[in-house]
Amino acid sequence: MHKFFYFKLALSNVRRNKITYLPYLVATAVMSGVFLLISGLLFSNGMTNTPGGETAKSIFAFGLVVYALFTFAFMLYINTFLIKRRKKEFGLYGILGLDKRHVGRVLLWENTFVIGGGLLCGTAIALVFGRLLFLILMKMIHTIPGSTFSISFRAYSLMFALFFLVFLVTSVSNIIRVHTASPIALLSSEKSGEKDKKGLLPLAIIGAILLGGAYYFAWTTEIPGLALGIFFPLAIAVIIATYLLFLCGSIVVLKLLRMKKSLYYQPDHFVTISGMFHRMRQNARGLATICILSTMLVVTVSGTLSLYLGSEQMTRSMYPFDAQVYVAESATQQQIVDYDATLNKIAEENHVTLSADRSKLITKLPEGEEYRRNNFVWEDSKFVEVPTLIFYDKSYRMDISGTTENCIAFVNAVRDQYSQSFSETPKLIVSDYYTAMEQGYGFYGGLLFLGAFFAVLFLAVAVLILYFKQVTEGYEDKERFEILQKVGMDDQQVKKTINSQVLWVFFLPLAATTLHMLFASKLMAWMLRLFMLYDWGLVLTCIVGTLLAFTLLYFIIYRVTARTYYRIVRR
Amino acid sequence: MSLLQVKGLGKVYNTKLGMRQCIALKNVNFEVIEGEFVAIMGASGSGKTTLLNILASLDKPTTGDVLLDGVSFSSIADRDLSEFRRKHLGFVFQDFNLLDTFSIKDNILLPLVLMQTPVREMEERLLPIVRQLGITQLLSKFPFEVSGGEKQRAAIARAVITDPRILLADEPTGALDSKSSASLLGQLTDLHQIGKTIVMVTHSAMAASYASRVLFISDGSLFSQLYRGEENNRAFFDRIVANLSILGGGDIA
Repeated sequence: MHKFFYFKLALSNVRRNKITYLPYLVATAVMSGVFLLISGLLFSNGMTNTPGGETAKSIFAFGLVVYALFTFAFMLYINTFLIKRRKKEFGLYGILGLDKRHVGRVLLWENTFVIGGGLLCGTAIALVFGRLLFLILMKMIHTIPGSTFSISFRAYSLMFALFFLVFLVTSVSNIIRVHTASPIALLSSEKSGEKDKKGLLPLAIIGAILLGGAYYFAWTTEIPGLALGIFFPLAIAVIIATYLLFLCGSIVVLKLLRMKKSLYYQPDHFVTISGMFHRMRQNARGLATICILSTMLVVTVSGTLSLYLGSEQMTRSMYPFDAQVYVAESATQQQIVDYDATLNKIAEENHVTLSADRSKLITKLPEGEEYRRNNFVWEDSKFVEVPTLIFYDKSYRMDISGTTENCIAFVNAVRDQYSQSFSETPKLIVSDYYTAMEQGYGFYGGLLFLGAFFAVLFLAVAVLILYFKQVTEGYEDKERFEILQKVGMDDQQVKKTINSQVLWVFFLPLAATTLHMLFASKLMAWMLRLFMLYDWGLVLTCIVGTLLAFTLLYFIIYRVTARTYYRIVRR
Repeated sequence: MSLLQVKGLGKVYNTKLGMRQCIALKNVNFEVIEGEFVAIMGASGSGKTTLLNILASLDKPTTGDVLLDGVSFSSIADRDLSEFRRKHLGFVFQDFNLLDTFSIKDNILLPLVLMQTPVREMEERLLPIVRQLGITQLLSKFPFEVSGGEKQRAAIARAVITDPRILLADEPTGALDSKSSASLLGQLTDLHQIGKTIVMVTHSAMAASYASRVLFISDGSLFSQLYRGEENNRAFFDRIVANLSILGGGDIA
């Protein structure tokens, strides 16, 4: 046969199957674009060496790995969905006399077109959308000045590696599918149903145990150093448990409900329970993925938001005094005492007043933080009596009252004065709360920016999954509801059961996300202590706020995608 | 006593753009007596499915009316139609219309569940019917696990479990091989013999030969009708085929 025959057939197939292939193309484009953006951000120099910078980076790296796994699973899922719809066509090829080998070759070409095209679009999306998003978010949040958006070579090569793997696995599985089935089986495969799988109960129990264990450790671990260490294993356990419970646990629960006859044989429950069986078998994977993605989104956004909003507190706990002026070790006792007057004079020139509260030296630390206390413990030997301020452990400590501008002016003036007052080269300079605040806002603003960026990307993926879910369900439910109406279910009842099933499917991932977040909140608060954020209330507020905002957004997305569903069902 | 009365039935479909009208039925009149097994025959496009849909209250006629036990369909409010259908009519479709999310048992019980029947009563009604139809072994299976003939028997069980006044069948053998068709038609005959009223639409003379009366429909009008009388299936079949050749349509098989 002509060499270009398969190529042409594949090309025309893609064109003719626009309705099924377009979502595949879009999925490839979005998934690869998002992957490129996340990995691009991770490998950029956006994250600096401020306290917790490494922690943040490792969390984002973990996110990337999880995302890569999702991408892989999701692409396979979409591929199976498409191939199922086209099996009939393959059967027809077989009957028309096209060899299975040749069908395989056509499929290979089709896959090449679609994934190749998707990657091109994805790269374009990443470049255009990334830059745009970057600009918008930069405007909204104070970020580290001079940040630019660029995607490194490493990010590109990772993306290509990932999607090459997707290409290989989907192609091989498609070819195997075509090879193992007879044309007759292929022709009628669209109609085949689903069987109850065996061994669901043990898997569901394993899932429940994993989840319970993860929740227990998340709730009871109260050592900040350990919090980060157990975060990743716990996150992995929760992810596995979520999948197991959605895939197997849901079916087990439904089976139990079905066994209870007085409950099952009620008009509303009857149709809803059996419908849920079908939905969970079809979409459990998608729903679990939505749940994991939304949990990640809420963790990222609420975590970075807490840091951003708490940066004032965090800075304050690291800088109990507004300013601390280090005096070189070589300074004499007299010089130290004299400098007190100099500082007051500079303060006067800058229209601020200085004060010092000795009790602040022994900083009260939140519970569970005792091990750091010795940093702040009072030692008489380090204390020098000076007229107005406090001199302790080689440095003056003071609070400044006045307008913020004046305070900053004072700090800067002290900085200038410093080298003149003591003839030796100054060992350390003035460290002050105001400068730290500015840096803190920069860094945590940067983190919040990353968090928001991730959120947008996760949402894009969630929209994609929801869309697929609605479309598949729409086609399948259409026939089902027609039958129900013929058998004597009235319009209203049909609508009621549709709505209750749709609502279940909508609320399940959201409820699971909320539960995950409830147990994660304490662990998150402990982890944030590594960043010197001690305000549990703030963390909780951020989590609740993010959850609420997310629920609203999810609802809007759901409504929009549900429209596709209703359009299909009613047609 | 006539159970079902069809009076001056007409149906006109408007094509999508509303420019052309398609007349599916014109002035169809007939009656079905309780305990009769009536087959309605006609070629594709003759209007027989439209007729059955109207008898099933799934579609509304443009003119005329249908009366079941003297109750006019047009007098029933739209929101009560589903209940009416559920209580008084039983359906068997060409493509079975079983729900793949239910087991065979649950498919059969569906109408009873919709009527909020107590669980014990459902089981009591289920057993004799499935025994008669020979599908007792299949109750826990799912539709995709059983053959076409078995699916159609399950569909019949679902149609008669509510003890409807009339059983409407739309090409019940259309998707079956000849052996399953024969056994299915045998089962319909059994139902007829225990006193069920059946109206079946078909284009197969073979299927029609099981009925006690055959109505021929052509281009939307009633063309003629044949009574079986005391004939056996074979002889009745020959007369149906002869009549079809006058009509110039329909399949022999």
